[in-house]
Amino acid sequence: MNCIKISFLISILFIGTSKIYAQDAAVLLHDMDEIIAAPKDKEAAVIMIITDKSGKEKKREASLKQKGRFKKLYRYTKPEKQAGIATLSLPDNAIWLYMPAFGKAVRINLLSKSQAFTGTDFSHDDMSGIPYTERYKPKFINAINPKHYVIELSPKSKKSKYTKIILTLNKTIHYPLKMEYFDKTNKHFKTAKYTYEKKEGYWYAKEVLMTDHNKKHSTKIILTDVKFDQGISDDEFLVENLKL
Amino acid sequence: MNLNRFSEKILNFKWIIILLVLASTLFFGNQVSQLKIDADILKSLPDGDPDAKLLKSIGKTFGGNNMGIIILETDNIYQTSVLEHVQTLTDTVTKIEGVSSVSSLTNIINIKGSDYGIEVGKLVNEYEMPTTSEDFNELRKNILANEMYKGTIVSEDETSTLIIFTLEEDANVNIVAKQIIDKTEALQLPEKLYYIGSPMLVTYISDLMKRDLTKLLPISFLVIAFILFLSFRSILGVVLPLLTAVISIIWSLGMMAFLGYKMSMISNNIPIILLAVGSAYTIHVLNRINQVKESGQPKVVSTALSYVFIPVLLAAITTIIGFVSFIFGAYLDMIIDFGVFTALGTFFACLLSIFFVPAIMDLSKSKKNKTIKQKKNSILTQRILQPLTKILFRQPKAIFVFWLLLIGISLFGMFSINRSVDIQEYFKKDNPTRLAENIMVEKFGGTKPVFVLFKGDMQNPEVLKKMIQTSDLMKESPDINSAMSVAKLISEMNYAITGSREIPDSQEKIEQLWFLLEGNEVLNRFVNEDLNEGIIISKFKSPDNESKKVFSKKMKDFIQENSTKECQISITGMPFVDITMDNSLVKSQIGSITIAILFVIIFVGFILRSFRGGIYTSIPIIAAIIILFGVMGLTGISLNIATVLVASVALGIGIDYSIHIYTHFNESFQKNKDLQKAIGESIQISGKAIIINVVSVSAGFMVLIFSEMVPLQYFGILIAISMVSSCLGALTLLPAILILMNRKKQLQ
Repeated sequence: MNCIKISFLISILFIGTSKIYAQDAAVLLHDMDEIIAAPKDKEAAVIMIITDKSGKEKKREASLKQKGRFKKLYRYTKPEKQAGIATLSLPDNAIWLYMPAFGKAVRINLLSKSQAFTGTDFSHDDMSGIPYTERYKPKFINAINPKHYVIELSPKSKKSKYTKIILTLNKTIHYPLKMEYFDKTNKHFKTAKYTYEKKEGYWYAKEVLMTDHNKKHSTKIILTDVKFDQGISDDEFLVENLKL
Repeated sequence: MNLNRFSEKILNFKWIIILLVLASTLFFGNQVSQLKIDADILKSLPDGDPDAKLLKSIGKTFGGNNMGIIILETDNIYQTSVLEHVQTLTDTVTKIEGVSSVSSLTNIINIKGSDYGIEVGKLVNEYEMPTTSEDFNELRKNILANEMYKGTIVSEDETSTLIIFTLEEDANVNIVAKQIIDKTEALQLPEKLYYIGSPMLVTYISDLMKRDLTKLLPISFLVIAFILFLSFRSILGVVLPLLTAVISIIWSLGMMAFLGYKMSMISNNIPIILLAVGSAYTIHVLNRINQVKESGQPKVVSTALSYVFIPVLLAAITTIIGFVSFIFGAYLDMIIDFGVFTALGTFFACLLSIFFVPAIMDLSKSKKNKTIKQKKNSILTQRILQPLTKILFRQPKAIFVFWLLLIGISLFGMFSINRSVDIQEYFKKDNPTRLAENIMVEKFGGTKPVFVLFKGDMQNPEVLKKMIQTSDLMKESPDINSAMSVAKLISEMNYAITGSREIPDSQEKIEQLWFLLEGNEVLNRFVNEDLNEGIIISKFKSPDNESKKVFSKKMKDFIQENSTKECQISITGMPFVDITMDNSLVKSQIGSITIAILFVIIFVGFILRSFRGGIYTSIPIIAAIIILFGVMGLTGISLNIATVLVASVALGIGIDYSIHIYTHFNESFQKNKDLQKAIGESIQISGKAIIINVVSVSAGFMVLIFSEMVPLQYFGILIAISMVSSCLGALTLLPAILILMNRKKQLQ
């Protein structure tokens, strides 16, 4: 009789906890989305360091202007060869590429979001402004570590290149520390490591290192001179204004 | 040196010899287990040949050496189920550890211009497969519009498509390739699958080599054992020749592993050759022991050894010369390795027959006092050798004339010998690799890679324009279907943005178009990291050598005129290597035979202290080689990387027969001054051992008929033919000459 009671209690406890965990996971992911999208606008200098499997580095520099979640403008400054090239992301997956040598902007229709973002290890999906809660179903994995939570994210869309992402979240502030990406064969093939910093009241990813384990290739994105809520005008994100 | 005393000394140390042999066999046996197979032909190409060197270096820099292909063949690829199967195959191969990239119809990136800008996506969307005829028409249109896909990923007759994969640099090629075959075949798709490309070919050849070894070696062993039993009718008569052969195989293969060499598709034959060759010396030693025993002389083993020591040593050294002659003029490193290690094996077999066999025979005599029985007047002696001696004395001139006629006919046949360097001829016609090659030739423009290397700034408009100009020239050849390069990609990008396929005149524009290509894996196949080297990748269709020469000349002339300091152009590829290999076939054949014959004449002449002796002994083998080439010419067996070895191997082995006959004759004639007795004895004693040897060696080589590799089948047949003709030469032509030359001397 005692055994039955104990089993019943354990089951109740287990079902109860998992429910709590599921709710917690959704809340935590929502918190993370909020932290990412907290500033009204953002301006920064971006350094991209692309390292190949032989350890050789390529450095790119750009200025970044972002307004809200979906308006993002990268204007490349270095290397010299690519100076002046700009990519403009707008809502509804509209991406425009401006090449100064051709003197015109061309719209890029991205048929697959798993494509690499301008030769980096980030895909367009990774750089997307769509909140994680809209794209992924979270599941709590554990909270054993005193400093972080581990959450499993399953993509809602069948078109995702990932089968799951294991997200490690800071326990106090709820910003991401690490994301481990799994491919169709359930192989862990990419890892993103985040370094967050607080400035002007906002937490932001000062540094992100994305490593592709298959290709033994990595990209580090470093933000410097970050300024928030500068009142960037919408005009900055007009296609016709891409030409400097 | 007194040979009798030397022979006795050998017997005094019999236990030490036996123990040494045992210890060495254990040591080398352990090494053999670590011997690795390497069937990569590309690695065997010599660095001394600039075309081969460039080909290897391009393969390494741009990753072409690790590229494999699965061909999916069906009635029409434009069906949803077929595309789903391509997707399944792509996913299956992607999952395999050691595969670094896979590109197929279902995951290839397509960048094209559209009404509103550029469309970047996949040729086939794996999540929304085409289902309607409109979808398929659109896909067909996209494929036909791009040279990257048309005839490259999808055949123009729409029946086949390719799944191209690259292995990681440190991947175990054999294991990964096997997994690819096993896992894709396990899918049991209704479409036919074929596998080709360097990793698959290397694995397939390794497999054939292992199959050949495990299948042919035991058969060869049994055949030789059976013939030895028929000849000696005793256990020792079977065991000892085979034991020496097996030990020499273990030692030479063990030495290969010890020195860090790998088994190639040529050295794969070493065991069979050594089994046949290595047993010969012991046969002669045993035969002499029997003959001495029958004659009732004392100290049987040491006396026999003192008689047979020189001829066996001489025979081994001449055989070694035959094998070593490959070093001079051989194009492929694997042929040189083969020559060196077979020579080493022959040397080991000779050592064993001189030291180990007498030691065992002495031991067996002292323990059992039993002899290897042979009937005094066996059927061979009564029915063949005795009548032959009579005929020789009756008709020496007629025999000589008959040989002259035979040589004349063969010389006529020699001029029709074909040459072939096509590696596909290694496989039987119904072999899956050959079928895959046929599909590649018919539908995808062949498999022989052609690369044009450009050294210069890969973003410079002039360099890219020169690339396009070179590709256009290449495509004028009926054997070139497509020529892909980064210039082609830039021209396509420019088309997507501006509507013009010209290479932009400004470097700035090119650098900005490059931005779109960055991170695209395909780029690594065309340019190096520093963007100062780029290649045009193409394939040559025809196996015909003349077509290759025409193409080579045209391209090399163009390169000479257009290569500048800022844009250095060079061309290479298998067609170019084939041309050099083809030229080297004849050169190495003439080189190795000339060297072998000269060395043999000088060496035999020196040992026998008679230059005339050297000439006499080489006449039958020269005749046999002429007959060999005659047979090749008249029957259409081509001279290729395997059959080019036959003449020197035949020379090395075949000369032994003449040496045995000549030394026996010389020894008897000098002792008794009786020509008839000397000829009779040589033919009936040495001739008998020769016939046993020829039958066993030929039978051993004939086993190669069951080989999975076609040139090896011919190799076996041709060696057997050479053995028989050099035996007949030694037993008829040489005695006829000796009779004609010495008759007057005796009369005087």
